Amino acid sequence: MSLDARVGIVLVSHSAELAEGAAALAAQISGGIVAIIPAGGTDEGQLGTSAAKVQRAMKLADSGAGVVILPDLGSAVLTVRALLGEADDLPTPVELADAPFVEGVVAATVAAAGGGNIEAVLAAAEEARHARKL
Amino acid sequence: MPGSYEQAITLTGDLHARPAGALAVAAAKFSSAVSLTVGTSSADAKSVLGVMGLGATSGQDVTVAAHGSDAEEAVAAILAILAEATSVGA
Repeated sequence: MSLDARVGIVLVSHSAELAEGAAALAAQISGGIVAIIPAGGTDEGQLGTSAAKVQRAMKLADSGAGVVILPDLGSAVLTVRALLGEADDLPTPVELADAPFVEGVVAATVAAAGGGNIEAVLAAAEEARHARKL
Repeated sequence: MPGSYEQAITLTGDLHARPAGALAVAAAKFSSAVSLTVGTSSADAKSVLGVMGLGATSGQDVTVAAHGSDAEEAVAAILAILAEATSVGA
């Protein structure tokens, strides 16, 4: 792991537009120095999730410090878990975050931009469950 | 030597998402604990969601407080971001 490697983020959404929009928002808030790779929709461009897209996104997101994956809804978790259980040649470490999608990616990306390790980035994402908007 | 340091600034613009992110990234570089206080609400400056949750707006006073070995530098850095980021309507 190089000295300036940052934790990468993968957004797994049933919607390609949702994943891309959340990635763009988080990139702007965190200053554009963290790899945030969207993996939304099926291979055919429909609503759903794709293990192949998630696998490609994980490789793109990894710069040596590991990858945190954020799913939009519970069923995206099934795709990610199946992939993590079956595929080899995946980045390590990998963590699947139990976090709200928008708040989670913003918090995780800012933590990664600040140089946080994978445990800190995962914790930032999961603490987002408790963040109040009002 | 651990120390405490605090200073207030009056915002010249609203504290939106982008400056909140820049602020949290900057705060993370310091070992000191850094907090922002607006009125009766406080947030950990290293938590972007906490900073955004303050809902700080133009004209409000924000007190930046730090405790730790680099407290003074941390407060200076955060004040600089608040002064710059909220002045450009980011």
